[in-house]
Amino acid sequence: MIRGALTLLLLLLPSLLLPTRLAAQEQLLVAALSQTAVEVTTGFTGATLTVFGSTDQLIGPGADEVLIITRGPTRPLVVRRKVRAAGLLWVNGPSARFGYVPGYYALASTRPAWQILPEEARQRNGIGLDALPLESTGARSPAFRAALLELETASGLWSEDSTPVEIHGSRLFFTHLELPATVPTGDYRVEVLLVRSRRIAARQELTFRVDRVGTADRIATIAELQPVVYGLTCVLLAAFAGWLGSVLFRRG
Amino acid sequence: MQVYLPIAEMSVDALLLVGIGFGVGWLSGLFGVGGGFLLTPLLILIGIPSPVAVASGANQTLGASVSGLIAQWRRGNVDPKMGLVLLVGGFAGSAAGVQLFGLLRRIGQVDLAVALFYVVVLGTVGALMVMESVRAILRRRQAMRRRLHEHLWAHGLPFKMRFRKSRLYISVIPPLLVGFLIGVLSAVMGVGGGFMLVPAMIYFLGMPTSVVIGTSLFQVVFVAANVTLLQAAQLGTVDIVLTMLLLAGGVAGAQFGAAMGTRLRGEETRALLGLMVLAVAASLLWELVRTPERLFTSGPAL
Repeated sequence: MIRGALTLLLLLLPSLLLPTRLAAQEQLLVAALSQTAVEVTTGFTGATLTVFGSTDQLIGPGADEVLIITRGPTRPLVVRRKVRAAGLLWVNGPSARFGYVPGYYALASTRPAWQILPEEARQRNGIGLDALPLESTGARSPAFRAALLELETASGLWSEDSTPVEIHGSRLFFTHLELPATVPTGDYRVEVLLVRSRRIAARQELTFRVDRVGTADRIATIAELQPVVYGLTCVLLAAFAGWLGSVLFRRG
Repeated sequence: MQVYLPIAEMSVDALLLVGIGFGVGWLSGLFGVGGGFLLTPLLILIGIPSPVAVASGANQTLGASVSGLIAQWRRGNVDPKMGLVLLVGGFAGSAAGVQLFGLLRRIGQVDLAVALFYVVVLGTVGALMVMESVRAILRRRQAMRRRLHEHLWAHGLPFKMRFRKSRLYISVIPPLLVGFLIGVLSAVMGVGGGFMLVPAMIYFLGMPTSVVIGTSLFQVVFVAANVTLLQAAQLGTVDIVLTMLLLAGGVAGAQFGAAMGTRLRGEETRALLGLMVLAVAASLLWELVRTPERLFTSGPAL
Protein backbone atom coordinates (compact mmCIF):
# COMPACT_ATOMS: atom_id res chain seq x y z
CA MET A 1 0.00 0.00 0.00
CA ILE A 2 2.63 2.50 1.15
CA ARG A 3 5.07 1.30 -1.50
CA GLY A 4 2.40 1.72 -4.13
CA ALA A 5 1.75 5.26 -3.01
CA LEU A 6 5.46 6.02 -2.98
CA THR A 7 5.94 4.73 -6.51
CA LEU A 8 3.01 6.78 -7.65
CA LEU A 9 4.47 9.85 -5.98
CA LEU A 10 7.87 9.24 -7.62
CA LEU A 11 6.21 8.90 -11.00
CA LEU A 12 4.19 12.07 -10.47
CA LEU A 13 6.99 14.11 -8.90
CA PRO A 14 8.53 15.54 -12.08
CA SER A 15 5.13 16.58 -13.43
CA LEU A 16 4.24 18.12 -10.05
CA LEU A 17 7.43 20.16 -9.91
CA LEU A 18 7.51 21.24 -13.50
CA PRO A 19 4.50 23.59 -13.61
CA THR A 20 5.45 25.35 -10.40
CA ARG A 21 8.98 25.98 -11.65
CA LEU A 22 7.64 27.32 -14.88
CA ALA A 23 5.11 29.44 -13.07
CA ALA A 24 7.75 30.85 -10.75
CA GLN A 25 9.75 31.99 -13.72
CA GLU A 26 6.77 33.71 -15.27
CA GLN A 27 5.20 35.03 -12.11
CA LEU A 28 6.14 38.49 -10.96
CA LEU A 29 4.34 38.00 -7.66
CA VAL A 30 3.78 35.12 -5.24
CA ALA A 31 1.69 35.56 -2.13
CA ALA A 32 0.04 33.32 0.47
CA LEU A 33 -2.04 33.45 3.65
CA SER A 34 -1.05 32.03 7.02
CA GLN A 35 -4.46 30.35 7.26
CA THR A 36 -7.45 29.96 4.97
CA ALA A 37 -10.08 29.40 7.63
CA VAL A 38 -10.94 31.44 10.71
CA GLU A 39 -13.08 29.63 13.25
CA VAL A 40 -15.52 31.61 15.36
CA THR A 41 -16.05 29.59 18.54
CA THR A 42 -17.88 30.64 21.73
CA GLY A 43 -14.51 31.90 22.98
CA PHE A 44 -13.75 33.96 19.84
CA THR A 45 -12.14 37.34 20.55
CA GLY A 46 -10.84 38.14 17.09
CA ALA A 47 -8.02 36.76 14.96
CA THR A 48 -4.83 37.83 13.23
CA LEU A 49 -3.91 36.54 9.80
CA THR A 50 -0.62 37.04 8.02
CA VAL A 51 -0.36 37.73 4.29
CA PHE A 52 3.14 37.22 2.94
CA GLY A 53 4.89 36.82 -0.35
CA SER A 54 7.66 38.02 -2.61
CA THR A 55 8.21 39.49 -6.07
CA ASP A 56 10.76 38.79 -8.75
CA GLN A 57 12.53 42.12 -8.15
CA LEU A 58 13.50 44.19 -5.15
CA ILE A 59 10.72 45.64 -3.03
CA GLY A 60 10.92 48.99 -1.32
CA PRO A 61 11.15 52.72 -1.96
CA GLY A 62 12.06 53.42 -5.57
CA ALA A 63 11.44 49.81 -6.54
CA ASP A 64 8.36 47.53 -6.39
CA GLU A 65 5.47 48.53 -4.16
CA VAL A 66 2.88 46.13 -2.75
CA LEU A 67 -0.78 46.82 -1.97
CA ILE A 68 -2.93 44.35 -0.04
CA ILE A 69 -6.71 44.85 -0.02
CA THR A 70 -8.99 42.58 2.02
CA ARG A 71 -12.75 42.64 1.51
CA GLY A 72 -15.32 40.78 3.58
CA PRO A 73 -18.82 39.68 2.53
CA THR A 74 -21.20 42.53 1.75
CA ARG A 75 -24.46 43.27 3.52
CA PRO A 76 -27.10 45.99 3.29
CA LEU A 77 -26.85 48.72 5.91
CA VAL A 78 -28.95 51.70 6.92
CA VAL A 79 -27.32 54.86 8.24
CA ARG A 80 -29.60 57.10 10.23
CA ARG A 81 -29.15 60.63 11.41
CA LYS A 82 -30.55 61.72 14.74
CA VAL A 83 -32.62 64.88 14.71
CA ARG A 84 -34.21 66.86 17.47
CA ALA A 85 -37.97 66.28 17.63
CA ALA A 86 -40.13 69.04 19.13
CA GLY A 87 -36.94 70.74 20.30
CA LEU A 88 -36.55 68.18 23.08
CA LEU A 89 -35.88 64.55 22.23
CA TRP A 90 -33.30 63.12 19.87
CA VAL A 91 -34.93 60.67 17.45
CA ASN A 92 -33.75 58.87 14.34
CA GLY A 93 -34.51 61.09 11.38
CA PRO A 94 -33.49 60.82 7.71
CA SER A 95 -31.74 57.65 6.60
CA ALA A 96 -29.70 56.36 3.69
CA ARG A 97 -29.67 52.70 2.65
CA PHE A 98 -26.43 51.26 1.33
CA GLY A 99 -26.98 48.08 -0.64
CA TYR A 100 -23.57 46.39 -0.66
CA VAL A 101 -21.41 47.40 2.25
CA PRO A 102 -18.32 45.23 2.80
CA GLY A 103 -18.46 43.80 6.31
CA TYR A 104 -14.68 44.07 6.43
CA TYR A 105 -12.24 46.21 4.49
CA ALA A 106 -8.55 46.59 5.14
CA LEU A 107 -5.97 48.28 2.97
CA ALA A 108 -2.29 47.80 3.72
CA SER A 109 0.56 48.98 1.56
CA THR A 110 4.29 49.62 1.54
CA ARG A 111 3.52 53.31 1.13
CA PRO A 112 0.13 55.11 1.20
CA ALA A 113 -1.84 54.11 -1.90
CA TRP A 114 -2.30 57.67 -3.18
CA GLN A 115 1.49 58.06 -3.35
CA ILE A 116 2.17 54.99 -5.43
CA LEU A 117 -0.79 54.87 -7.82
CA PRO A 118 -2.36 57.50 -10.08
CA GLU A 119 -5.69 58.76 -8.74
CA GLU A 120 -7.67 57.33 -11.63
CA ALA A 121 -6.29 53.79 -11.17
CA ARG A 122 -6.88 53.99 -7.45
CA GLN A 123 -10.53 54.97 -7.85
CA ARG A 124 -11.17 52.39 -10.58
CA ASN A 125 -9.84 49.52 -8.45
CA GLY A 126 -11.57 50.63 -5.25
CA ILE A 127 -8.30 51.07 -3.37
CA GLY A 128 -8.77 53.15 -0.25
CA LEU A 129 -11.79 53.89 1.90
CA ASP A 130 -12.68 56.99 -0.14
CA ALA A 131 -12.69 54.87 -3.31
CA LEU A 132 -15.14 52.24 -2.05
CA PRO A 133 -18.07 51.87 -4.43
CA LEU A 134 -20.97 52.60 -2.06
CA GLU A 135 -24.31 53.13 -3.77
CA SER A 136 -27.06 54.50 -1.58
CA THR A 137 -30.75 55.20 -1.75
CA GLY A 138 -32.66 57.58 0.48
CA ALA A 139 -31.09 60.68 1.95
CA ARG A 140 -28.69 62.26 -0.55
CA SER A 141 -26.26 64.13 1.69
CA PRO A 142 -22.60 62.98 1.44
CA ALA A 143 -22.53 63.20 5.24
CA PHE A 144 -24.14 59.72 5.39
CA ARG A 145 -21.28 58.15 3.49
CA ALA A 146 -18.77 59.99 5.66
CA ALA A 147 -20.62 58.80 8.78
CA LEU A 148 -20.58 55.20 7.54
CA LEU A 149 -16.80 55.39 7.03
CA GLU A 150 -16.38 56.83 10.51
CA LEU A 151 -18.60 54.23 12.20
CA GLU A 152 -17.00 51.27 10.45
CA THR A 153 -13.49 52.56 11.12
CA ALA A 154 -14.34 53.12 14.79
CA SER A 155 -15.58 49.53 15.10
CA GLY A 156 -12.30 48.21 13.66
CA LEU A 157 -14.00 46.56 10.70
CA TRP A 158 -12.62 49.01 8.16
CA SER A 159 -9.05 50.22 8.16
CA GLU A 160 -6.64 51.95 5.87
CA ASP A 161 -2.89 51.91 6.41
CA SER A 162 -3.31 50.94 10.06
CA THR A 163 -0.74 48.15 9.68
CA PRO A 164 1.83 48.74 6.93
CA VAL A 165 3.16 46.09 4.59
CA GLU A 166 6.61 45.36 6.01
CA ILE A 167 9.59 44.38 3.94
CA HIS A 168 12.35 41.94 4.91
CA GLY A 169 15.62 42.10 3.04
CA SER A 170 14.00 43.80 0.04
CA ARG A 171 12.66 40.37 -0.93
CA LEU A 172 9.90 39.28 1.41
CA PHE A 173 6.83 41.32 2.22
CA PHE A 174 4.24 40.60 4.85
CA THR A 175 1.38 42.23 6.73
CA HIS A 176 -1.04 41.31 9.50
CA LEU A 177 -4.82 41.35 9.07
CA GLU A 178 -6.54 42.14 12.34
CA LEU A 179 -10.04 40.65 12.47
CA PRO A 180 -12.04 42.02 15.44
CA ALA A 181 -14.54 39.81 17.33
CA THR A 182 -17.43 41.39 15.41
CA VAL A 183 -16.28 40.23 11.92
CA PRO A 184 -19.14 38.91 9.81
CA THR A 185 -18.96 35.29 8.73
CA GLY A 186 -18.52 34.38 5.08
CA ASP A 187 -15.98 34.48 2.27
CA TYR A 188 -13.16 37.01 2.31
CA ARG A 189 -11.05 38.08 -0.68
CA VAL A 190 -7.47 39.22 -0.28
CA GLU A 191 -6.15 41.06 -3.34
CA VAL A 192 -2.37 41.45 -3.53
CA LEU A 193 -1.24 44.03 -6.08
CA LEU A 194 2.26 44.61 -7.35
CA VAL A 195 2.83 48.21 -8.42
CA ARG A 196 5.80 48.80 -10.69
CA SER A 197 6.49 52.34 -11.96
CA ARG A 198 3.02 53.57 -10.94
CA ARG A 199 1.25 50.79 -12.82
CA ILE A 200 -0.38 47.62 -11.53
CA ALA A 201 2.03 45.04 -12.94
CA ALA A 202 0.55 41.91 -11.37
CA ARG A 203 -2.23 40.83 -9.05
CA GLN A 204 -2.99 37.70 -7.10
CA GLU A 205 -6.21 36.87 -5.35
CA LEU A 206 -6.29 34.81 -2.15
CA THR A 207 -9.38 33.78 -0.23
CA PHE A 208 -10.20 32.75 3.30
CA ARG A 209 -13.41 31.92 5.11
CA VAL A 210 -14.72 33.04 8.48
CA ASP A 211 -17.05 30.40 9.89
CA ARG A 212 -18.82 29.87 13.13
CA VAL A 213 -17.96 26.43 14.49
CA GLY A 214 -18.95 24.26 17.43
CA THR A 215 -21.61 25.44 19.87
CA ALA A 216 -21.77 29.00 18.53
CA ASP A 217 -22.44 27.69 15.04
CA ARG A 218 -25.01 25.14 16.16
CA ILE A 219 -26.94 27.77 18.15
CA ALA A 220 -26.94 30.29 15.30
CA THR A 221 -27.91 27.65 12.73
CA ILE A 222 -30.80 26.27 14.76
CA ALA A 223 -32.00 29.80 15.57
CA GLU A 224 -32.01 30.62 11.88
CA LEU A 225 -33.38 27.41 10.38
CA GLN A 226 -35.77 26.28 13.12
CA PRO A 227 -36.77 29.40 15.01
CA VAL A 228 -39.77 27.79 16.72
CA VAL A 229 -37.73 24.84 18.00
CA TYR A 230 -35.04 27.28 19.12
CA GLY A 231 -37.59 29.50 20.90
CA LEU A 232 -39.10 26.50 22.70
CA THR A 233 -35.64 25.34 23.75
CA CYS A 234 -34.88 28.81 25.13
CA VAL A 235 -38.14 28.77 27.10
CA LEU A 236 -37.49 25.29 28.52
CA LEU A 237 -33.83 25.97 29.33
CA ALA A 238 -34.66 29.19 31.17
CA ALA A 239 -37.50 27.47 33.07
CA PHE A 240 -35.16 24.61 33.97
CA ALA A 241 -32.52 27.04 35.25
CA GLY A 242 -35.19 28.74 37.34
CA TRP A 243 -36.42 25.42 38.73
CA LEU A 244 -32.83 24.42 39.55
CA GLY A 245 -32.47 27.70 41.41
CA SER A 246 -35.58 27.01 43.46
CA VAL A 247 -34.26 23.54 44.39
CA LEU A 248 -30.92 24.98 45.50
CA PHE A 249 -32.75 27.72 47.34
CA ARG A 250 -34.89 25.29 49.34
CA ARG A 251 -31.85 23.41 50.54
CA GLY A 252 -29.94 26.56 51.41
CA MET B 1 -13.15 35.77 30.22
CA GLN B 2 -14.57 36.75 26.84
CA VAL B 3 -17.46 34.79 25.41
CA TYR B 4 -18.93 35.06 21.91
CA LEU B 5 -22.70 35.61 21.79
CA PRO B 6 -23.89 33.76 18.66
CA ILE B 7 -27.06 35.79 18.04
CA ALA B 8 -25.80 39.21 19.11
CA GLU B 9 -22.66 38.34 17.06
CA MET B 10 -20.34 40.00 19.50
CA SER B 11 -17.91 39.08 22.21
CA VAL B 12 -18.60 40.14 25.80
CA ASP B 13 -16.94 39.52 29.15
CA ALA B 14 -18.77 36.52 30.63
CA LEU B 15 -17.98 37.62 34.19
CA LEU B 16 -19.56 41.01 33.52
CA LEU B 17 -22.78 39.29 32.40
CA VAL B 18 -22.81 36.94 35.39
CA GLY B 19 -22.17 39.99 37.59
CA ILE B 20 -25.04 41.94 36.08
CA GLY B 21 -27.26 38.87 36.51
CA PHE B 22 -26.19 38.58 40.14
CA GLY B 23 -26.83 42.28 40.87
CA VAL B 24 -30.24 42.29 39.22
CA GLY B 25 -31.10 38.92 40.85
CA TRP B 26 -30.09 40.31 44.25
CA LEU B 27 -32.34 43.33 43.83
CA SER B 28 -35.21 41.22 42.53
CA GLY B 29 -34.90 38.86 45.48
CA LEU B 30 -34.85 41.85 47.80
CA PHE B 31 -37.90 43.53 46.31
CA GLY B 32 -39.83 40.53 45.00
CA VAL B 33 -39.94 41.67 41.36
CA GLY B 34 -38.40 40.10 38.26
CA GLY B 35 -35.90 42.88 37.70
CA GLY B 36 -36.32 42.95 33.93
CA PHE B 37 -36.77 46.72 34.03
CA LEU B 38 -33.20 47.07 35.29
CA LEU B 39 -31.72 44.31 33.17
CA THR B 40 -32.72 45.43 29.67
CA PRO B 41 -31.38 49.01 30.04
CA LEU B 42 -28.15 47.63 31.55
CA LEU B 43 -27.67 45.26 28.61
CA ILE B 44 -28.24 48.12 26.14
CA LEU B 45 -25.75 50.18 28.14
CA ILE B 46 -22.96 47.59 27.73
CA GLY B 47 -23.53 47.55 23.96
CA ILE B 48 -25.94 44.67 23.32
CA PRO B 49 -28.22 45.69 20.42
CA SER B 50 -31.69 46.75 21.68
CA PRO B 51 -33.64 43.94 19.93
CA VAL B 52 -31.37 41.24 21.41
CA ALA B 53 -31.42 42.89 24.84
CA VAL B 54 -35.23 43.03 24.87
CA ALA B 55 -35.75 39.44 23.68
CA SER B 56 -33.07 37.91 25.91
CA GLY B 57 -34.29 40.03 28.82
CA ALA B 58 -37.75 38.48 28.48
CA ASN B 59 -36.12 35.03 28.36
CA GLN B 60 -34.12 35.75 31.51
CA THR B 61 -37.23 37.10 33.30
CA LEU B 62 -38.98 33.81 32.55
CA GLY B 63 -36.21 31.82 34.25
CA ALA B 64 -35.98 34.18 37.20
CA SER B 65 -39.75 34.09 37.80
CA VAL B 66 -40.12 30.29 37.64
CA SER B 67 -38.41 29.70 40.97
CA GLY B 68 -40.56 32.37 42.61
CA LEU B 69 -43.72 30.89 41.13
CA ILE B 70 -42.88 27.39 42.39
CA ALA B 71 -42.42 28.73 45.94
CA GLN B 72 -45.66 30.75 45.84
CA TRP B 73 -47.66 27.88 44.33
CA ARG B 74 -46.57 25.59 47.15
CA ARG B 75 -47.88 28.09 49.69
CA GLY B 76 -51.19 28.33 47.84
CA ASN B 77 -50.73 32.00 47.01
CA VAL B 78 -51.75 31.70 43.36
CA ASP B 79 -55.26 32.40 42.06
CA PRO B 80 -55.19 30.21 38.91
CA LYS B 81 -58.54 31.47 37.59
CA MET B 82 -57.51 35.12 37.81
CA GLY B 83 -54.12 34.12 36.42
CA LEU B 84 -55.73 32.48 33.38
CA VAL B 85 -57.94 35.51 32.65
CA LEU B 86 -54.90 37.79 32.90
CA LEU B 87 -53.02 35.36 30.70
CA VAL B 88 -55.62 35.46 27.90
CA GLY B 89 -55.18 39.23 27.81
CA GLY B 90 -51.43 38.79 28.19
CA PHE B 91 -51.07 36.45 25.20
CA ALA B 92 -53.06 38.79 22.97
CA GLY B 93 -51.04 41.73 24.26
CA SER B 94 -47.65 40.12 23.79
CA ALA B 95 -48.55 38.98 20.26
CA ALA B 96 -49.60 42.55 19.42
CA GLY B 97 -46.47 43.87 21.14
CA VAL B 98 -44.12 41.69 19.08
CA GLN B 99 -45.80 42.93 15.89
CA LEU B 100 -45.42 46.50 17.10
CA PHE B 101 -41.76 45.79 17.88
CA GLY B 102 -41.17 44.37 14.39
CA LEU B 103 -42.77 47.47 12.86
CA LEU B 104 -40.64 49.79 14.99
CA ARG B 105 -37.54 47.88 13.93
CA ARG B 106 -38.39 48.31 10.25
CA ILE B 107 -38.86 52.06 10.55
CA GLY B 108 -35.71 52.35 12.67
CA GLN B 109 -37.24 53.64 15.88
CA VAL B 110 -36.68 50.70 18.24
CA ASP B 111 -34.15 52.50 20.42
CA LEU B 112 -36.38 55.53 20.79
CA ALA B 113 -39.52 53.49 21.46
CA VAL B 114 -37.85 51.25 24.05
CA ALA B 115 -36.35 54.28 25.82
CA LEU B 116 -39.63 56.21 25.73
CA PHE B 117 -41.64 53.25 27.04
CA TYR B 118 -39.15 52.93 29.87
CA VAL B 119 -39.19 56.62 30.73
CA VAL B 120 -42.99 56.89 30.75
CA VAL B 121 -43.78 53.58 32.44
CA LEU B 122 -40.95 53.61 34.99
CA GLY B 123 -41.47 57.31 35.71
CA THR B 124 -45.17 56.80 36.44
CA VAL B 125 -44.80 53.57 38.40
CA GLY B 126 -41.81 54.87 40.37
CA ALA B 127 -43.55 58.10 41.33
CA LEU B 128 -46.71 56.22 42.36
CA MET B 129 -44.71 53.75 44.45
CA VAL B 130 -42.78 56.45 46.27
CA MET B 131 -45.92 58.47 46.93
CA GLU B 132 -47.89 55.45 48.09
CA SER B 133 -45.21 54.14 50.42
CA VAL B 134 -44.52 57.57 51.91
CA ARG B 135 -48.23 57.88 52.57
CA ALA B 136 -48.24 54.40 54.15
CA ILE B 137 -45.29 55.28 56.38
CA LEU B 138 -47.08 58.43 57.50
CA ARG B 139 -50.32 56.52 58.03
CA ARG B 140 -48.51 53.97 60.17
CA ARG B 141 -47.35 56.81 62.40
CA GLN B 142 -50.91 58.09 62.74
CA ALA B 143 -52.15 54.52 63.34
CA MET B 144 -55.13 54.93 61.03
CA ARG B 145 -57.19 51.94 59.90
CA ARG B 146 -57.83 51.17 56.26
CA ARG B 147 -61.03 49.84 54.86
CA LEU B 148 -60.82 46.11 54.21
CA HIS B 149 -62.64 46.13 50.91
CA GLU B 150 -63.00 48.98 48.47
CA HIS B 151 -65.47 49.28 45.62
CA LEU B 152 -63.89 50.75 42.53
CA TRP B 153 -65.49 51.94 39.30
CA ALA B 154 -64.04 48.92 37.54
CA HIS B 155 -66.36 46.71 39.55
CA GLY B 156 -69.46 48.04 37.79
CA LEU B 157 -68.76 46.55 34.32
CA PRO B 158 -70.64 43.58 32.74
CA PHE B 159 -69.43 39.91 32.24
CA LYS B 160 -68.96 39.30 35.93
CA MET B 161 -67.02 36.30 37.13
CA ARG B 162 -66.31 34.91 40.56
CA PHE B 163 -62.67 34.58 41.62
CA ARG B 164 -62.78 32.49 44.80
CA LYS B 165 -59.15 32.73 45.84
CA SER B 166 -59.12 36.49 45.38
CA ARG B 167 -62.52 36.79 47.08
CA LEU B 168 -63.75 38.93 44.17
CA TYR B 169 -66.89 39.02 42.00
CA ILE B 170 -65.94 41.39 39.18
CA SER B 171 -66.20 41.87 35.43
CA VAL B 172 -63.56 40.04 33.36
CA ILE B 173 -62.92 43.21 31.31
CA PRO B 174 -60.50 44.93 33.75
CA PRO B 175 -58.24 41.86 34.24
CA LEU B 176 -58.25 41.20 30.49
CA LEU B 177 -57.28 44.81 29.84
CA VAL B 178 -54.56 44.77 32.50
CA GLY B 179 -53.20 41.51 31.06
CA PHE B 180 -53.20 42.92 27.52
CA LEU B 181 -51.34 46.11 28.46
CA ILE B 182 -48.73 44.21 30.47
CA GLY B 183 -48.32 41.84 27.49
CA VAL B 184 -47.61 44.74 25.10
CA LEU B 185 -45.14 46.30 27.52
CA SER B 186 -43.51 42.93 28.09
CA ALA B 187 -42.84 42.50 24.36
CA VAL B 188 -41.58 46.03 23.75
CA MET B 189 -39.57 46.47 26.96
CA GLY B 190 -38.36 42.92 27.55
CA VAL B 191 -39.72 42.90 31.09
CA GLY B 192 -42.06 40.55 32.92
CA GLY B 193 -44.09 43.50 34.12
CA GLY B 194 -44.36 42.41 37.75
CA PHE B 195 -43.54 45.90 38.98
CA MET B 196 -46.63 47.23 37.15
CA LEU B 197 -48.85 44.19 37.56
CA VAL B 198 -48.61 44.12 41.34
CA PRO B 199 -49.87 47.70 41.88
CA ALA B 200 -52.51 47.24 39.15
CA MET B 201 -53.86 44.11 40.89
CA ILE B 202 -53.99 45.78 44.28
CA TYR B 203 -55.35 49.20 43.38
CA PHE B 204 -57.24 48.57 40.12
CA LEU B 205 -58.64 45.06 40.60
CA GLY B 206 -58.78 45.21 44.39
CA MET B 207 -57.17 41.78 44.95
CA PRO B 208 -55.96 40.81 48.43
CA THR B 209 -52.18 41.26 48.77
CA SER B 210 -51.65 37.63 49.83
CA VAL B 211 -52.36 36.25 46.33
CA VAL B 212 -51.00 39.20 44.34
CA ILE B 213 -47.31 38.22 44.13
CA GLY B 214 -48.02 34.57 43.31
CA THR B 215 -50.66 35.39 40.68
CA SER B 216 -48.50 38.06 39.06
CA LEU B 217 -45.61 35.58 38.84
CA PHE B 218 -47.99 33.12 37.18
CA GLN B 219 -48.85 35.71 34.54
CA VAL B 220 -45.20 36.85 34.15
CA VAL B 221 -43.86 33.32 33.57
CA PHE B 222 -46.28 32.54 30.78
CA VAL B 223 -46.22 35.95 29.11
CA ALA B 224 -42.40 35.97 29.18
CA ALA B 225 -42.44 32.47 27.65
CA ASN B 226 -44.78 33.70 24.92
CA VAL B 227 -42.62 36.77 24.22
CA THR B 228 -39.47 34.63 24.07
CA LEU B 229 -41.10 32.24 21.63
CA LEU B 230 -42.53 34.98 19.40
CA GLN B 231 -39.32 37.04 19.39
CA ALA B 232 -37.30 33.94 18.55
CA ALA B 233 -39.69 32.81 15.81
CA GLN B 234 -40.39 36.15 14.14
CA LEU B 235 -37.36 38.33 14.78
CA GLY B 236 -34.65 35.79 15.70
CA THR B 237 -33.26 37.96 18.48
CA VAL B 238 -33.12 35.63 21.52
CA ASP B 239 -29.54 34.87 22.53
CA ILE B 240 -29.53 31.76 24.69
CA VAL B 241 -25.87 32.13 25.69
CA LEU B 242 -26.60 35.63 26.98
CA THR B 243 -29.72 34.40 28.83
CA MET B 244 -27.96 31.49 30.52
CA LEU B 245 -25.03 33.64 31.70
CA LEU B 246 -27.46 36.17 33.19
CA LEU B 247 -29.47 33.38 34.84
CA ALA B 248 -26.33 31.80 36.32
CA GLY B 249 -25.70 35.01 38.24
CA GLY B 250 -29.36 35.79 38.79
CA VAL B 251 -30.26 32.52 40.50
CA ALA B 252 -27.47 32.99 43.05
CA GLY B 253 -28.16 36.70 43.53
CA ALA B 254 -31.85 36.13 44.19
CA GLN B 255 -31.05 33.92 47.20
CA PHE B 256 -28.94 36.58 48.90
CA GLY B 257 -31.48 39.26 48.08
CA ALA B 258 -34.43 37.27 49.43
CA ALA B 259 -32.57 36.50 52.66
CA MET B 260 -31.86 40.18 53.13
CA GLY B 261 -35.37 41.22 52.12
CA THR B 262 -36.94 39.52 55.14
CA ARG B 263 -35.10 41.98 57.39
CA LEU B 264 -36.52 45.08 55.68
CA ARG B 265 -39.98 46.55 56.35
CA GLY B 266 -42.55 46.56 53.56
CA GLU B 267 -43.10 50.29 53.13
CA GLU B 268 -39.42 51.19 53.27
CA THR B 269 -38.65 48.45 50.73
CA ARG B 270 -41.30 49.77 48.37
CA ALA B 271 -40.07 53.36 48.76
CA LEU B 272 -36.52 52.21 47.95
CA LEU B 273 -37.69 50.22 44.94
CA GLY B 274 -39.70 53.24 43.78
CA LEU B 275 -36.64 55.48 44.02
CA MET B 276 -34.56 52.99 42.07
CA VAL B 277 -37.21 52.76 39.36
CA LEU B 278 -37.28 56.57 39.17
CA ALA B 279 -33.47 56.70 38.90
CA VAL B 280 -33.49 54.31 35.91
CA ALA B 281 -36.23 56.38 34.25
CA ALA B 282 -34.31 59.62 34.84
CA SER B 283 -31.05 58.27 33.39
CA LEU B 284 -32.85 56.99 30.28
CA LEU B 285 -34.61 60.34 29.86
CA TRP B 286 -31.24 62.10 30.10
CA GLU B 287 -29.91 59.89 27.28
CA LEU B 288 -32.81 61.00 25.09
CA VAL B 289 -32.56 64.68 25.88
CA ARG B 290 -28.84 65.37 25.82
CA THR B 291 -27.05 65.97 22.54
CA PRO B 292 -25.74 62.57 21.39
CA GLU B 293 -22.00 62.04 20.93
CA ARG B 294 -22.58 60.52 17.52
CA LEU B 295 -25.33 62.00 15.39
CA PHE B 296 -25.22 59.06 12.99
CA THR B 297 -25.92 55.41 13.72
CA SER B 298 -25.87 52.42 11.44
CA GLY B 299 -27.79 49.20 11.56
CA PRO B 300 -28.69 46.23 9.38
CA ALA B 301 -31.21 47.07 6.65
CA LEU B 302 -34.37 44.99 6.97
